[in-house]
Amino acid sequence: MNSASPANRQEPAPASAVVDIRGLVKHYGNQRVLDGCGLTAVEGEILTLLGPSGCGKTTLLRCIAGFIKPDAGSVVVDGRDLGPVPVNRRPVGVVFQSYALFPHLTVARNVSYGLRMRSLPASEISARVESALQSVSLTGLQDRYPSQLSGGQQQRVAIARVVILQPRVLLLDEPFNALDAKLRGAMQVELRQLIKRLGITAIFVTHDQDEAMTLSDRIAVMRAGRIEQIDQPEVVYDRPASMYVADFIGASNVFSGHARHGLLELPDGQSVPTELNGDVKVMVRPHNLALTLKHDGSSSTWIGELRFRRHVGAMVEYEIGLPDGQVVKAIGLHGEHSSAPETGESVSLTIRKPAACMVFATP
Amino acid sequence: MTAASAPESLIERLLSGRGIWPAVPAIIVLLFVAVIPFLILLSLGISDVVTVRGAIVSQEFSLRHFSAALADPLYWTTFHRSLTLAVTTTLLCMLLGFPVAYLYLIGGKWWRRIILVLTIAPILTSGIVRTYAWIVILGGRGVVNSTLIQLGLIDQPVRIINTHWAVLIGMVQIHLPIMILPLIAAMSRHDPRLDEASANLGATRLGTLRQVILPLAAPSLGTGAALAFTLSYTTFVVPQLLGGGNYLNAATMVYEQVVYALEWNKGAVTAVILMATCLLGLVVIAGLTNLASAWTRAGR
Repeated sequence: MNSASPANRQEPAPASAVVDIRGLVKHYGNQRVLDGCGLTAVEGEILTLLGPSGCGKTTLLRCIAGFIKPDAGSVVVDGRDLGPVPVNRRPVGVVFQSYALFPHLTVARNVSYGLRMRSLPASEISARVESALQSVSLTGLQDRYPSQLSGGQQQRVAIARVVILQPRVLLLDEPFNALDAKLRGAMQVELRQLIKRLGITAIFVTHDQDEAMTLSDRIAVMRAGRIEQIDQPEVVYDRPASMYVADFIGASNVFSGHARHGLLELPDGQSVPTELNGDVKVMVRPHNLALTLKHDGSSSTWIGELRFRRHVGAMVEYEIGLPDGQVVKAIGLHGEHSSAPETGESVSLTIRKPAACMVFATP
Repeated sequence: MTAASAPESLIERLLSGRGIWPAVPAIIVLLFVAVIPFLILLSLGISDVVTVRGAIVSQEFSLRHFSAALADPLYWTTFHRSLTLAVTTTLLCMLLGFPVAYLYLIGGKWWRRIILVLTIAPILTSGIVRTYAWIVILGGRGVVNSTLIQLGLIDQPVRIINTHWAVLIGMVQIHLPIMILPLIAAMSRHDPRLDEASANLGATRLGTLRQVILPLAAPSLGTGAALAFTLSYTTFVVPQLLGGGNYLNAATMVYEQVVYALEWNKGAVTAVILMATCLLGLVVIAGLTNLASAWTRAGR
């Protein structure tokens, strides 16, 4: 059982930290968009800033790139405070939400843009452009214009355009928004592999939890301008630091309970130990809820009525209405019951692993 | 259409909004106010007209007036003056207009509003009124001269009004909004992320201006130039009023030939040459715009 650990604690940055962000504050009028935001990213890591719209994740990204000047706090890359460093001198590459490719320039000239701004010799530019295009498998498309490319190809041009400058940090602002849903899954895996191959430290911004799970080494869940929790995807999922995180990452069922003498009785009659006392909220993931048919025999006295059933591949999603009106979600394996439960049938519920329940103090 | 369904009536086809039908009213209006007058003008230019007390009594085909005009050195100097004035005006409008549009792009909400109001307000005022305002400003006892005298920079009023310079100043002021408007339209469409991307890739503000903003605004710069050129090449009011009647350009020449000299054939010839050379100028501007676009795409 976890107890909510204080987020945004100010620890010394690990030795291998490439990005070290401390106490960033940014106001827009009366609104505090960033509220003492801090995090570190280590060498070669893919970190995702995850949160609903308006949580400040894009503002944080724009502060790192230098498009926005924070009111307080610092952005340090490789031990150097970027505060006084102008946008065009930062060792930071940005992949924009809709890629922001230059529409009047060919792929090759989009990719060579940064090198040309640095006035490198033409021979070196063409050699580096060729190898950059090769590294993102765009060889042969150098003379096309952005409008003649697919969404996925545009994304790779946007990446090639910044990695050719060998930035220390790659910032990606919702890079899959411009792609259709079918493509996204495959592109996410591909992009993760590409960034790992290039060995660049990357910070992603997304509001899509699946995307964050697929891409990240670590996820930083943001809430109202602060980092609520930062950890590996499976840790954030299994041991969320707060109800907010548990609710944002993955579906959950929430029940009220009362803890006494270090024990909490779950709705199905089982008990789990807890450090909390008094009124609490219990969150149970759908896959931790087992559904039993009445005639299959069950010891559970937690009864409900099956409202809805949906087969998703090998899994079955259930919606069960409880007597008190609450609707809970459960996920089971296809064919685990002697006969498939029918809508309207009375079923009993059991928590498969009581220890995997998440208990939070009632806010 | 299947055989069973009844053929569409003319009314139905008109109301369906398909094909060229929606454009028909405009085409009819253009026919009456542009095409037919132009044909009459052309017919006057290529014929001999005998008038009695201002009324046309006979008309015969003849290219006499065109050959006479092309042989007359006054035509050449006048058209040369018109063209120089129009090109100078257009270039000055581009030079002065683009920075305003750039300010509109990088400025905040209030800058944008101020620029928009200052650009549109003069268009709402008649060109004649604005031209008269220049007479007041540039005249011997005008604002410019009295200020210069008070500052002790000059003893006697400088003659500005009724000179080439007065005409040029007036022309630029009158046509500047026409140049700025298409540029502002382009700037409002401009994606600010492109400028951020450019800066992120290492470009300075000047680099972004030259490599991203200017190339993307080139077509609108061409549109503005075409508008400013057409209007300043064929304008009549500004040279007539600020030139004090001494400044002869093609349009004032047409006016004098028709209104004072009552030489309808000569006036028609001048007008046709004016139109033809104006079209030629537009073709050149379109070509230059394409060339500029291609140049920014291919790079150096």
